[in-house]
Amino acid sequence: MRFQYLLTQTVQGIRRNPLVVASAIVAVLVTLVLVFGSIVVRWSIDQDIGRWDDNVRVIAWLGDVSPDQVYAMQEEISSWPEVEEVVYFSKSQALEEFKELFADQPALIEVVQENPSVLPDSLRIKPAEAGSYDVIQNRVAVYPGVQQATAAGEEIDALVARSNRMRTFAVGVFVVLGAAALVLIANTIRMAVYARREEISIMRLVGAGNWFIRIPFLLEGLFEGVAGAALAALIVGLGHKPIVQMLSTVADPDSIVVPVQFLLQQSLLVLAFGAITGLLGSALGMWGTLRD
Amino acid sequence: MIRLQDVSKVYDGGVVAAQGVNLEIAKGEFVFLVGPSGSGKSTIIRLLLREELPTSGNLWVAGKHVNKLPSWKVPLLRRSVGTVFQDFKLLQSKTVYENVAFALEVIGRPRHVIRQQVPQVLRLVGLAAKADRLPRQLSGGEQQRVSIARAFVNRPLILFADEPTGNLDPGTAVGIMRLLDRINRTGTTVVMATHDHAIVDAMRRRVVALDRGAVVRDQSRGVYENIPELPEDLGEAEPE
Repeated sequence: MRFQYLLTQTVQGIRRNPLVVASAIVAVLVTLVLVFGSIVVRWSIDQDIGRWDDNVRVIAWLGDVSPDQVYAMQEEISSWPEVEEVVYFSKSQALEEFKELFADQPALIEVVQENPSVLPDSLRIKPAEAGSYDVIQNRVAVYPGVQQATAAGEEIDALVARSNRMRTFAVGVFVVLGAAALVLIANTIRMAVYARREEISIMRLVGAGNWFIRIPFLLEGLFEGVAGAALAALIVGLGHKPIVQMLSTVADPDSIVVPVQFLLQQSLLVLAFGAITGLLGSALGMWGTLRD
Repeated sequence: MIRLQDVSKVYDGGVVAAQGVNLEIAKGEFVFLVGPSGSGKSTIIRLLLREELPTSGNLWVAGKHVNKLPSWKVPLLRRSVGTVFQDFKLLQSKTVYENVAFALEVIGRPRHVIRQQVPQVLRLVGLAAKADRLPRQLSGGEQQRVSIARAFVNRPLILFADEPTGNLDPGTAVGIMRLLDRINRTGTTVVMATHDHAIVDAMRRRVVALDRGAVVRDQSRGVYENIPELPEDLGEAEPE
């Protein structure tokens, strides 16, 4: 009886003002699509960074050094705390790699084959942490016998920066739009309270409990928050693929699949956010109007 | 059943609506609160319903210390009393039946109780045949009967009536008074604020007269105005 009554009241409240309710739902929807969307996009960037991390190498191009010297260098550099592994790469190995990389440009390969000294011996140094590549690069560059040290550092920095920008963006969006959604829900609830003010005054008169009066409004706010969140989860779940693929650096975009489990986990989080926004918004809307 | 002890109420701005009111009303009594507009009749009812808190003093209603009641218990106080107003306060979108049933629904009474008690109380107020009408399809007297039915459907110990006949013509008002009298005979305490001389004089019940927030007369089987100290000729010259 009570439960059914409360539900009926909630449904009536939502039907009374469908446009206002819709605007609150859309506000939650837009907020959470952007937030959820940036979470997913950030995930894919982090995957990229992960892939890069594993392949980061500082390459020390060697000058004219004897095999013994090379061995000694290898021993010493691999003992540095920031270094995980040092691999020697001979001229012929470098040539093989070059051939592979530039297989579509036979002219270039010919030039290198005729003049092998353009591809010197090198040490490929794997950092213990991808972020510390620049420390190694600086140390190796001044090492006797090393002509030049290079690393694909800028690309990594750019990716990390992109990931961080994404996080800042998501937080900013969440704060600004979340506040807007909260106020919009509060407004719909306030209007609903106003529309029912006579009924509420009679409920008070005949001794209806305070929570009995409040619950339909809380449920209405909850509905708006959860409906917006569910739509947002649906939109991001179905529509994230093109954006993720566009932003990814992977050669074959079709190979990127955001795991379903990750999507579901984040959807639950989004739904919880929606529910909390709805309840807070409706509490804000009732503030001061539904006192004892 | 009802007790007021040195109750005073001063509104912001210094308007004194009650000062040092002491009053005791026993179970089953029928009491008129009389006095001119602004004498504090409605304030006392509002204080007894805990719609307002007194500036000082204490009130008890049906065993509850009203001014000390925690706010979550206020609904329980209001369930043990019924209230009727001059303007009926009916929901225009609900039928007679629904208006009365509403009072039981919102305090969580089970459906079978509602189905049993609503028709019963509608018979008591003489509106069983008009249960499906909307308030605007009823006369003023009938609307007041609906609001009395709503106030009484939960079988309260006390019925408060604030100017219940204020909007009604004298003939209709008599009907309403008969109904309140009948409810009183079931053992329900009735407290009615009014400035209707004819009704008070005809009923001959306890009269508590208020003036500027103070009790100036408390008389069993009283009349609206009691001015025995005035000489005969002056008394006749009084207007009204």
